[in-house]
Amino acid sequence: MASVMEIYQLLPKTNCKECGKSTCMAFAVDLLARKVTVDDCPPLVNEAKYKSGYEKLSSMITPVDGVTDTGLIVHDEKCIGCGNCVVACPVNVANDPLGAGSGKAPTSDKVIFKVEDGVVKARNVQECRRFGENRILCVACIDTCPTKAIEFV
Amino acid sequence: MGFGQFLAAPEIKLKVVTYRDVFQNTAQESSRFGEDYETLSAVIRLDLKDISKLSIKEGETVILRNGSGKVVVQAQKSGYEQAHPGIAYMVNSPWSNVLVPEDTGGTGVPKFKDFEVTVQSARGASVTGIKEIF
Amino acid sequence: MCTGCALLCDDIEVETEGDKVTVVHAACRKGVARMKGCSEPLECTVDAEGADMDTAIAKAASILRDAKNPLIFGHGNSSSEAQKISIGLARKTGAYIDDTSSFCQGPIVEAILQERLRTCTLDDVRHKADVIVFWGADPSNSHPRHLSRYSYFPRGKERQRGWEEDRKAITIDIRKSETAIICKDERFYQLPAGGDAEFMAALTNALSGKVPKTSFDLDSKRILGLSNIMKKAKFGAIFVGLGLVYSLEELDPLFALMDKLNEFSDFHLIPMVGQYNMRGFNHNLFAETGYINRLKFDGDSKELAHGPENSVVEVLRNKNIDAALIIGSDPLSSLPLSIARHLADIPLITIDPCNNLTTSRSAVTIPCALGGVESGGTAIRMDGVEVELKKIFDSDRLSDQEILKRITEAI
Repeated sequence: MASVMEIYQLLPKTNCKECGKSTCMAFAVDLLARKVTVDDCPPLVNEAKYKSGYEKLSSMITPVDGVTDTGLIVHDEKCIGCGNCVVACPVNVANDPLGAGSGKAPTSDKVIFKVEDGVVKARNVQECRRFGENRILCVACIDTCPTKAIEFV
Repeated sequence: MGFGQFLAAPEIKLKVVTYRDVFQNTAQESSRFGEDYETLSAVIRLDLKDISKLSIKEGETVILRNGSGKVVVQAQKSGYEQAHPGIAYMVNSPWSNVLVPEDTGGTGVPKFKDFEVTVQSARGASVTGIKEIF
Repeated sequence: MCTGCALLCDDIEVETEGDKVTVVHAACRKGVARMKGCSEPLECTVDAEGADMDTAIAKAASILRDAKNPLIFGHGNSSSEAQKISIGLARKTGAYIDDTSSFCQGPIVEAILQERLRTCTLDDVRHKADVIVFWGADPSNSHPRHLSRYSYFPRGKERQRGWEEDRKAITIDIRKSETAIICKDERFYQLPAGGDAEFMAALTNALSGKVPKTSFDLDSKRILGLSNIMKKAKFGAIFVGLGLVYSLEELDPLFALMDKLNEFSDFHLIPMVGQYNMRGFNHNLFAETGYINRLKFDGDSKELAHGPENSVVEVLRNKNIDAALIIGSDPLSSLPLSIARHLADIPLITIDPCNNLTTSRSAVTIPCALGGVESGGTAIRMDGVEVELKKIFDSDRLSDQEILKRITEAI
């Protein structure tokens, strides 16, 4: 997963404010969170000397439609449907111990992850441990993914 | 395709290790003759040092040759964090099988996962199609 | 039931429209592609011309009847019922019979059936295993749901606290596979190509309290660490992949390691069988003949010849066969080209749901139903457990079982 610093390094670092943000660092943070797109930085798009940075960022920050409230993104094209996240997610285990928690197809509507057509789908994300008042930095789904198809932004 | 054009390019000897890939396998379920299957199969993954020895760029084609046959595939970086010069990786496929030696020592089991090839740039040549393999 | 690989996942649900699978629940990417069917279904042909089923079956029967030394090969993607008919057909025609295990997991399955290696079921692994070893195997690519359904992540009867506390998964391989990455660096042992037997001997030494040495200078402390983890295991499982099978010239080092492990602990071994019913063929042939593969029937007498010289690879290399019947397999793709080439020179009959390189070179092609979707039957999972395949809907295509029965009757 890309870090803010990696993104920042590829930006012009001129703090020109053309994007409407006060600094390039602020832009990098928003870019990571998918609040802005690479194309929102005019110098990066227009100036030849930033071309390689533009290209690297464009492939790094893949556009996603389905950013959920917790910032959870599933990159469909990378997902192999192995179900590791389905079985490892502590919320799935708690809500469906005999289905998802035991390695089988989920049998409850309250699970967060479920594999459909060979790709994992996230739902009920308000249940995710990274969300809400008592949130914790749970990484069960990221750590168990063999293809880095899950990302939090 | 004439092979004279490649004579000038540097060539190196590599050990090839084959492996399995779920995306390539998925493409195979859909069609052995599909574009996806070729794109995901006709590839050799190389160490950065070997790429520079061959003076090629990632994405260009290379010709692989040994006593069993020859085949043109795309060269890619392996992406492994640990360097592995002298070793290259190929997905198990009809393309790698062109190069697997016939000799089995009578055991009935070919060396699918461990054989040697000579690699050379094939800049400009296209990847061998599955129907040309046979 | 998904027939994408020998895990034979039985928790799949599908949505259908007419005779098409539209949505598949719970199956992995590869399994979904299998269940939705290929984009180039096989046509019924004789000499590359469209033909009806009766003509194709009559032609297939005449090819097999005329052949002196036919080969019947494939079987990994067939139900046990079809495999048994195939064995009968080989007996009747005095054919060589073999399957893909001949150049894959055959030696391991054979050692298990001869009770030389201890094994267990995948359900045992889920409920009990605390130490899991993937050796020369990358299930994340070959059997995507292996870790989530059975071997690492699920909770089981004696493994209630989750994988982080309850299980240790180790990978031993020549490259850092996707499986190695999720099992973490400290549990990954990288070997040079062909170094498995030596590492196995070093590990066996470590278990006996000797200093483990390897010519490739793997840190002996790490090998001792691994031997300690394995010694303390309550229930251990080793999953053997093709990387290990191809690397070992003989199985003795593996037998020695397993015997040593079982002096201290309770270790089991399961082969990472690829095709969904490869193991079934081994079991079925073993039950009838005492051999798992690589057989030649003699038409007149009841004699059998068995051994590597009767393997698909050697009979092709030595050009011993004059016709072949291929069922649910694509040897022109999966065998070395230099060896497979002979197949294109002899009359070939293929039975398969889909077009492939072998069908494109066949005198007779007969389309069959897709196992587990359009036809049912029984199959044997990678761990030896027999399961029932239910068909999802009826199809115009005959099952391979039915086709083989009709060819047998026509001879």
